[in-house]
Amino acid sequence: MQPQTIWQRMLSIDRRWLYAILFVNIVVFLLSPVRLRAPISPPVQKFYDEIESLRPGDLVMISSNWSASTLAENQPQLEAVLKHLMRKGVHFTFISIEAQSRDISLRLAKRLTEEAGYEYGKQWAHFGFVPNLIVAIKGMVNDLPATIKQDVTGTPIQQLPVTKGVKSLKDYKMVIDITPSGTVPIWISYSPKEVRILYCPTSVMAAEAYTYLDSGQVKGMITGAKGAQEYEQLLGITGLGAPFANAISFSHVLIIFFILLGNFALLMQRLHERREG
Amino acid sequence: MDWFMEFLPRTPERLGIWIGVICTLAIYSLLYRENPFYRFFEHMYIGLAAGYSLGPLGVDVLYRYWVEPIWVQGYWAWAFVVPYGMYLYFIFSERYGWISRIVIGTLIGASAGLFFQEFSSRYLPQLNSTLQKPLWLSSANPDLTVSMVINNFLFVIILLSVLTYFTFSYEQRGGVKRFATLGRWFLMIGLGAIFGNTVMARMGLLIGRIYYILNDWLMIPIGGAQ
Amino acid sequence: MEAIIPHLIAQNIWQLPEANRTVYATLVVLGAFVLVLGLIPVLQALPPRGRRAIVVTVTFLAGLLFAAEFFLPVDWRAIFPKDDPTRNFLTPAIQPAQNVLQTIGALALGLGTYGLVRLHLRNVVQRRTQWGYSVVLLIAFLTMATFSIANTLAERQLLKLEGTPQRVLERGFTILFDYTLVQLDAAMFSLIAFYIFSAAYRAFRIRSIEASILMFTAMVVMIGVVPLGAYISYQLLGLPQGPAPEGAGLGTQILHSIDLPDIANWILFTLNAPAQRAIEFGVGIGGLAMAIRLWLSLERGVT
Repeated sequence: MQPQTIWQRMLSIDRRWLYAILFVNIVVFLLSPVRLRAPISPPVQKFYDEIESLRPGDLVMISSNWSASTLAENQPQLEAVLKHLMRKGVHFTFISIEAQSRDISLRLAKRLTEEAGYEYGKQWAHFGFVPNLIVAIKGMVNDLPATIKQDVTGTPIQQLPVTKGVKSLKDYKMVIDITPSGTVPIWISYSPKEVRILYCPTSVMAAEAYTYLDSGQVKGMITGAKGAQEYEQLLGITGLGAPFANAISFSHVLIIFFILLGNFALLMQRLHERREG
Repeated sequence: MDWFMEFLPRTPERLGIWIGVICTLAIYSLLYRENPFYRFFEHMYIGLAAGYSLGPLGVDVLYRYWVEPIWVQGYWAWAFVVPYGMYLYFIFSERYGWISRIVIGTLIGASAGLFFQEFSSRYLPQLNSTLQKPLWLSSANPDLTVSMVINNFLFVIILLSVLTYFTFSYEQRGGVKRFATLGRWFLMIGLGAIFGNTVMARMGLLIGRIYYILNDWLMIPIGGAQ
Repeated sequence: MEAIIPHLIAQNIWQLPEANRTVYATLVVLGAFVLVLGLIPVLQALPPRGRRAIVVTVTFLAGLLFAAEFFLPVDWRAIFPKDDPTRNFLTPAIQPAQNVLQTIGALALGLGTYGLVRLHLRNVVQRRTQWGYSVVLLIAFLTMATFSIANTLAERQLLKLEGTPQRVLERGFTILFDYTLVQLDAAMFSLIAFYIFSAAYRAFRIRSIEASILMFTAMVVMIGVVPLGAYISYQLLGLPQGPAPEGAGLGTQILHSIDLPDIANWILFTLNAPAQRAIEFGVGIGGLAMAIRLWLSLERGVT
């Protein structure tokens, strides 16, 4: 048996070495004191400007549909957005079409609102879980109290100060969809035209949303953890976004290097085989 | 020494973090090879996820939309909804399986009927936005610059070429074929953007986990200072 | 005869009397179960054509409600001067329809859980290979289901606990949810990062124009949108940041727009957006055709 060339050995490297390299790369750049500033991308700037245009007491619907599987992407987004909304004195209500997200968003919001002195029922509320978003939106446009009935504490929503007098989704100024799945087309399709839609997708979903940004159906977008870092910068706060985006940057360099390395090794192996006949 | 004492699972919170890290490492053990430790936690994960869903499904939905309207408000007609929905559970039966199709038909029919609104509100505004893109400089649009016009032209050409590539109703030849090939290349740009963003998302999720191990478990402070 | 209907409506025939409501409600629900499940032998007696007719009719009517509600004009004041100009006569039906669909939707989601538990119960009962893992799954399921239901009920004040039971519920749910389920879920999905890295090295081969375009775009986006792209452009290469000043020459304008973040954003907005829009149009037209086929039960094998 012929001895393997270095290129063959490179191409057939044990995948566990690759896993270890990636793991070490992330550990190193999370621990490193280097923190690069992010350029503010236009969709994030628009997102920020839209929330800045809200007035204290305006009502916003937060559609939180993420589970722990995308925690690292959606949590920094939700934290940054909530902090901005509370800074502006804006009132908000949550709705979830993902069962797990109901409790994740409720617990996260409880922690953040307590820190900011926001009162449940008065300035914010959680409508719990609904499995069918399309009919829920249709229902909320038609008659919001009859659709939602009660919040997670079992209080009829007409009795909550935050939603007192709210009859329809039309009474909301904005919908913010924080999601890893295709829920934003549903909000675009069924919510009233006068309600502005802002979008916080995981990075996987972001490229597909540029057509909605171009048509104005979505007014602004925060893309994953790196978008959260940009938003934190705009708000002047320190959150999870900065260390995450920093490590993401260098993991990208590693991936690009390895894609090129894989192709280079293949090329060299082919040349070697050609030479050997 | 202080660090070590703090590190140990001596408080409920620390105990929770230790449990979280054991769960994470158990799942990561799959990367080395398939093993009973991983299988144990995998099954526990599925069981927990399925069990958890019963809370929101049972209380947030069934209580809110079925129990409360009947038992508290007294609207008796709702009583028929759950028995009707239970027809779904015949899906596992060979003999009665077709009965579940009645309920599935309700769900599918409703989704189909709702799609007309989606078509009108989701796709038509995009068509409208494309048709409204100015393709030449004029006094009607004083803010328009040459680069914006070029970008608009590019936008329309890419859209048309990709749509041509997607048209399979006739055999593409000559100029049309070349235009469709151009469309395929532009489509690759879209897919490349998706790939780049997908890598970013996946790295983000792993970074979140490693952050948890370093920051929460090992208590190495990871700052976000910029 | 004319007076009966208004009389019945005034009596609110749809609502049970307040006195003994729980008892009446329970009886009605039991009756409904008996009635609806009692229909099964009747349905089963139908020939195949009759069965299909029922499914087709139900599918069509469910779709018709939403389609007609959307297509019918909202403003009927030309015919009914006192009508509400923001809704048509079918709009009030959306509300009950949404309640029904949410309930059925929950039962449909519960179907998955039912199937899973059924499978693993069988594994245990029949002592199939590795049935021990099924025991783990069932114990985890039962424990979490108990805590999850109790926690949601307690939040709604439907379950009133105090002292130790309340503390056990809170702490137990926190450990099961925050420290176990959430961590397992996050860890499970983060595995993909390792696989994507390994696949990128082993399988991403630049062999055609298409693959080259895809990889080049991916690389520019991957570096351009993250902070490193800005660092390379502005700190290392010294390119000017932000838009070019008004009236600047062509050279300055070019320098202001060749930094990686700007190139990445240009790719995303100008090259990626129309490609995505073309995909959207394809999906939209396909979706519309499929919706009509499903609604009219022309799609074989579904209804």
